Amino acid sequence: MSSGLFKAPMSRRGLLRAGAASAAVAGVGGLASACSSDSGSSSGSKVLNVAVFADQATANKLNKAAATFEAAHPGVKVKFNGTTGTDWNDFFSKLLTQIAGGNAPDITSVATEGLQLFAAKGLAQPLDDYVKRDAAELKSYFADVHPALVEAMMYQGHLYELPTDFNAGNMFYSTSLLEDVGVGRPADDWTRDDFYDIAKKVSAKGGNTVGYDWVVRLWGSWTSWMYANGGNLLTEGKWDGGDWLWNTFYPNDPAAAGRKGGWRWGDPTANSAPVVESLDYMIQLQKEGVAPKPDVGGGTTLQGLFAGNKIGMSIGGGFWAGGLHNAGMADGSFDVQYFPKWRSQRHLFGSGGFGILKKSPNKDLAWEFLKTLLSAKNLSLLAPGNVTTPARKSMMTAEKYATTGPKHWQVFYDTLTKFPETAPIPAPPYYQAMAIALNKRTTEAMSNGKAKAALDGLQSDLETAAKTG
Amino acid sequence: MAQPVRNRRASAPPGARPGRPPQPPADEATALRRRAQSRRARREALFGYAMVASALVVVVVFTVAPIIASFVLALFKWDAISSPQFVGLDNFDTLLSDKAVTHSLLVTSGLAVMIVVLQVALGLGLALLVAQRASKIVQNLFRAAFFLPMLASAASISIVMAYVFNDQFGVINYYLNLLHLPQVSWLSSTGGATATIVLVAVWQQLGFTFILFVAALASLPGDVLEAAQIDGASSARMFWRIKLPLISPTVLFASTVGLINTMQLFDQPYVMTKGGPGDSTYTTVLLVYQTAFQNLQFGYASAISVVLFAVLLVITALQFTASRKWVFYS
Repeated sequence: MSSGLFKAPMSRRGLLRAGAASAAVAGVGGLASACSSDSGSSSGSKVLNVAVFADQATANKLNKAAATFEAAHPGVKVKFNGTTGTDWNDFFSKLLTQIAGGNAPDITSVATEGLQLFAAKGLAQPLDDYVKRDAAELKSYFADVHPALVEAMMYQGHLYELPTDFNAGNMFYSTSLLEDVGVGRPADDWTRDDFYDIAKKVSAKGGNTVGYDWVVRLWGSWTSWMYANGGNLLTEGKWDGGDWLWNTFYPNDPAAAGRKGGWRWGDPTANSAPVVESLDYMIQLQKEGVAPKPDVGGGTTLQGLFAGNKIGMSIGGGFWAGGLHNAGMADGSFDVQYFPKWRSQRHLFGSGGFGILKKSPNKDLAWEFLKTLLSAKNLSLLAPGNVTTPARKSMMTAEKYATTGPKHWQVFYDTLTKFPETAPIPAPPYYQAMAIALNKRTTEAMSNGKAKAALDGLQSDLETAAKTG
Repeated sequence: MAQPVRNRRASAPPGARPGRPPQPPADEATALRRRAQSRRARREALFGYAMVASALVVVVVFTVAPIIASFVLALFKWDAISSPQFVGLDNFDTLLSDKAVTHSLLVTSGLAVMIVVLQVALGLGLALLVAQRASKIVQNLFRAAFFLPMLASAASISIVMAYVFNDQFGVINYYLNLLHLPQVSWLSSTGGATATIVLVAVWQQLGFTFILFVAALASLPGDVLEAAQIDGASSARMFWRIKLPLISPTVLFASTVGLINTMQLFDQPYVMTKGGPGDSTYTTVLLVYQTAFQNLQFGYASAISVVLFAVLLVITALQFTASRKWVFYS
């Protein structure tokens, strides 16, 4: 308080003047920021706002993928806006709040988890007309993408996104931990019993090492066991429609046979026998000390523990290759195999892509931009360092995985072809309520060891969510 | 405004003493003085209102308006995307039979009682220890140490604590393991998660009650304490019969504010347990958040908020009513 500024008392007039000056500065500042706002199309330039599930530093790096588009469209600037979150549910909450606040982006990244949510709420623009119009231009893209990924982007017969990437729930394993207990690479058609034997042996090493670990979420959780056991949380069905797409792009592709207008998730079946049995299996593994009690969330911690060689096996997709590499795991210290067989070897997957917001005033321009993203070069720029599996099969090369591993990288894409019954995660329009209920009931079961009671609760939660939408 | 005064001075009566400004008659001078005083008072009042207005605008925009909005919104069905639809009291009707709401209120009340009791008891205990035994420097050190966690955001602390208490690789279980003690399911068992949340909340908020009690104990009348000492009162008797009654208004304040805060507990369960395992730490504000921002049921979430507001109002009223029997203001 000895500063000269505070020595003399300030007069009221002086205070008011200072206040007015501050207000003026704030006003001018606000005005300046409003003038520099890039949401509109001032001075003949346009900005395409793209919302992505990433921090802003990562989002800024994606600008490279817009270079060819910006060069071809002078005066148009693409801005990637990053939004962070613990999982997709968290990202959607923030994005929906942003949209409700009148600040909708033109384009947003939406994974399978939210596709039906955005479509059912009338937020996403169907791409049917654009795709039909530019069919010739898109033929090479569709020829390179498995139809299962395209079907996962459809809802009520309409196509809402062009898949850019996906991740199937495969099984990662630590090569050194398996070697330590005298086990080699599991066979392609290994079974749940084989898995159990390996997990048991690794856990017997003691210390903090566990044979198997997992996280509570919809993708690649105990839900992978549920799929392999022939169960699902919701009744499976397909929406009619989509023939135009299958006839245009996949006319003679056996993998497209039976494909329709998107997955139609019906009545909840969360307490059906195969589902209860699957969750019970997780409880059994935990009781036997083969797996710890799982965390809730996106799985970053799990990757850290795996990289620290504390986990023998865990469910992961193509994104684990980059994740484990970035966490310090050397190529060769981990590998991947298909998910083990229970009643079947059916896998689950989630796909990613970009959708155009219905409210966007720049829909045509947004579509032109989306098309440029589908090139192999831009898809690589969107996901550098193997942090996902590209939707274009031609991008799956030995060179791509040369630095990160795993050795058997072919498993990622071959899951779709080798196991045609593989399906997307059940993500209905009420996905958010479903994700909350799933987390709640899974942790309840893992805490008290009562799978049936917890899944009866989940069934009731899902029935309520389905009614209220 | 000062112009008329100058005019009057200019028309001073003849015969006034030279070298001095002409003086108005006494009654007129009094009236002028009063008018000037009144003008000054008005200016000061205006200045005061202007100063208060800025704070008032903030309170109205960020507190009063949202409260009114949530009362209004509770009568609508609104997903924030389509237009709101008036449903009258339907949201409240649904709420009455919603077990999730009842359960969350019970969970929140349970957590709030545990946290407030511990906060008040520990805060008072520590304040007594520090006030009695410690030197001024040590007292200040303790004040700073206990108050420091309050300065950090609850969310940041919860993230750190989620790692500290992690079942698999948490620091606490690591040391338990080193000591060959059984590991504790801090966050993945019902009891463990509840205890952890209580511990973290108490640890973070303890500084507030501690500072309050240190101040209250420091302001106790010395003559009363001295008289009690001369009369041979034991330490325990002095605490229960003299100190505690004298600081009872502080106890009331700490418990009321603590209860209002903890009934709105969100950060710790959201970050550390997501309300689990199951719904064992599923607080009402967490339910409000998920209902509004994840399930997009803003009307229903507002109705739950209104109920929580009413519950808080009733609890506070009860606290004040009961306080008449145990709080001494003189």
